[in-house]
Amino acid sequence: MRSPLRFERRLRQPKWLSLAVPAGSLLAALVLGAVVLLVTGRNPLSTYHRILERAFASQSSLSGTLISATPLAFTGLCAAVAFRMGIINIGGEGQLFGGAILASWAGIALGDQPVWIVLVAMLAAGAVGGMTVALIAGVLRARFGANEIITTLMLNYIVAIFLDYLIFNSKSYWREPKSFGFPKGKQVGPAAFWSPITIGHTAIPRGFIVAVLAGVVVSVLYRTTRFGFEVAVIADSPGTARYAGMRTTRKIIAVMALSGALAGLGGASDVGDFRHVLDAKGLQLAGYGYTGIVVAALARLNPLGTVLVAVLIGGLTNAGYALQGPDFPSGLVGALQGLILFTAVAGEVLVRYRVRRAVPAPVSAAAAGPPTPPVRAGA
Amino acid sequence: MVHSHRRARVAIAALLAGAAASTAATAAARTTPPTAPSTAGTATAGTAVGSATAYADPMTNFVPDQGAKPVDCKPKDGPLKAAWVYIGPINDGGWTQAHDVGRQEVQAALGDQVVTTYKENVPEGPQVAQVLEDLIKDGNTLIFGTSFGFQDAFIDVAAKHPNVCFDFATGYKTAANVGQFYGRGEDTDYLTGMAAGAATKAGKVGYVAPFPIPEVIRGINSYALGVQATHPGATLQVVWTNTWFDPAKERAAAESLIAAGVDVVASGQDSPASGEAAKAKGLPWTGYDSDQSANFPDIWLTATNYHWGAYETARAKAVLDGTWVPGNYYGGIADGFARLAPFGKLVSADTQAKILAKQAELSAKPGSHLTGPIKDQSGKERVPAGQQISFEDLMSMNYFVEGVIGEIPSS
Repeated sequence: MRSPLRFERRLRQPKWLSLAVPAGSLLAALVLGAVVLLVTGRNPLSTYHRILERAFASQSSLSGTLISATPLAFTGLCAAVAFRMGIINIGGEGQLFGGAILASWAGIALGDQPVWIVLVAMLAAGAVGGMTVALIAGVLRARFGANEIITTLMLNYIVAIFLDYLIFNSKSYWREPKSFGFPKGKQVGPAAFWSPITIGHTAIPRGFIVAVLAGVVVSVLYRTTRFGFEVAVIADSPGTARYAGMRTTRKIIAVMALSGALAGLGGASDVGDFRHVLDAKGLQLAGYGYTGIVVAALARLNPLGTVLVAVLIGGLTNAGYALQGPDFPSGLVGALQGLILFTAVAGEVLVRYRVRRAVPAPVSAAAAGPPTPPVRAGA
Repeated sequence: MVHSHRRARVAIAALLAGAAASTAATAAARTTPPTAPSTAGTATAGTAVGSATAYADPMTNFVPDQGAKPVDCKPKDGPLKAAWVYIGPINDGGWTQAHDVGRQEVQAALGDQVVTTYKENVPEGPQVAQVLEDLIKDGNTLIFGTSFGFQDAFIDVAAKHPNVCFDFATGYKTAANVGQFYGRGEDTDYLTGMAAGAATKAGKVGYVAPFPIPEVIRGINSYALGVQATHPGATLQVVWTNTWFDPAKERAAAESLIAAGVDVVASGQDSPASGEAAKAKGLPWTGYDSDQSANFPDIWLTATNYHWGAYETARAKAVLDGTWVPGNYYGGIADGFARLAPFGKLVSADTQAKILAKQAELSAKPGSHLTGPIKDQSGKERVPAGQQISFEDLMSMNYFVEGVIGEIPSS
């Protein structure tokens, strides 16, 4: 049967749409969610009120949201900078681990130095750690054309096993020698605890501030520099870029290094802001790298948007814990979170396509061809 | 050191409780075989011991911290709000599920005096503190923690909320308003091992183990000794997963053990996934921390099951009475904390009788299966002949006994 609706690509994307569509998407999510809640016998208004309250509406909940958002902002940026050039770096996970490994080393080794020195050293070490992991896949891709989706994904497992090795299977520098028999990481020195910056009663993790700065830097880099222009050209057409004399091989390596460094900063923040040890198990359970890909996709690979989406997802995560309980199964929480994400992505289609009623087709063999052309996935 | 002293006192209390209970009139009920041993033995509800009233009071196994003062965490008005924080999903078929059964028992026992809630799938990390703060904001004044990795967050948050009581399972740190609770899983692990030993033909049993920590190691050693009790000379091969709950990893570990030639599989994990691997090959399997007899009827032997509810109910009552103090609880078979799951049809009447006789003995003398001579893998004597392992040594066990194949990674 012929679909009564058809999608047409917009020639021009009006400005108001990029505001109206997300707002409309959110509204649609709330309405759909309300249906789900009503059907399962719950009050949508009080549920939404609680989500808002526990995610954003009070200063202590905002602090909690920023805690959950910080690692996602980094892994989101990691994905965004690579995806923008068409490099599918799935390795934010392993690159964040790499950053955490080196940053905790710096934190343990320099833990009694002045606070600012330790902070900078941990950030640098984290960036180098993430970069190192990413460059393995980056060089393989740039020099030998190895598929980076596979290599970055596989590296996630390799670095995870290396993490386990450092904490569970060896007497490494990172392992606490006296911990009542339970293998765990050695705590970093006192100066390596990044105390949050408090505004009013909202505690802002230092890592979050670094993430915002990183978002600004990446945004400027991609918008205003020649590097950013070349990245955009390579993304659109690698062949054209090569004819124009752009060094695609170097660009791939540079972008992977940047991408990995951003995830690595997330690893440094995990150690400095939150855990203060190399937490092999906790890092693997958290899955920051994979969630970061979702964050970047929702933000349409916009660096500052990525940071914003990370805050939204962080809030949703925290509100999710607040919601669940004996009367509110965590599956339902997941369904609500999923609805919001789904409509956000679906609404995206409306920014780039307009929906038209299909023109009544003349009854002829020619018109009975394939129905609506499939909607192209976003670039 | 303070820690070991505390543990030592727990040991004494546990021994006293065991002795007292064994002389009690109810002893007969507790030690009588629950289900008449039968070869048909379709494992059904009634577990290894009769009704709950037959068990000793769990608080006999509780040792208050020295000089501890009661904490006022009574609700100002209305019922007591109590919360449980779980690492896994409440239907994990193991650890978290058993804890949630405990929560429901508290709710059932105290009725409208208490409102219970839980948070599941809480990852170890920065979110734990947030979840705790949320629970406190909601008015919960008694919070139970159920995963080792939550411990530091519990201690930190507890320090900020002196009028909230925290009870923590399987950790080792107590504070003015933080207590610890756990129990003698190793006793029932020994009994489970006996069933595995009787089931192995090749004399090779495989054990899927989570983390190389004393709690797990003493369970493995007890299990191995149980295997050897019914099958002298049998070995127990151990594979570490470095995770409490990861069904895919657990299953893969079991498959690697089966490939190495074991013909009975044992789980020390939170999920029954290793049972799936055993089922695929039709090999007998012992579970951990949940009764999976209905899901694996053809391969099920038995398992250690924990019953947290009695202790948790007693603690919630203590909050209501204003008598809650921090301390250590170490339950056992006698007070119903550690119980054996129903036997599967593969466990013969003869083996069931042997196991139940041993269960009666361990109920009266907790931990007595770890009586010397016990040698480690290298043949070095660790517990001298005729002596029972000290409680401190039990709590810090970091070697495998003879007959265990596997390594404790650089402990």
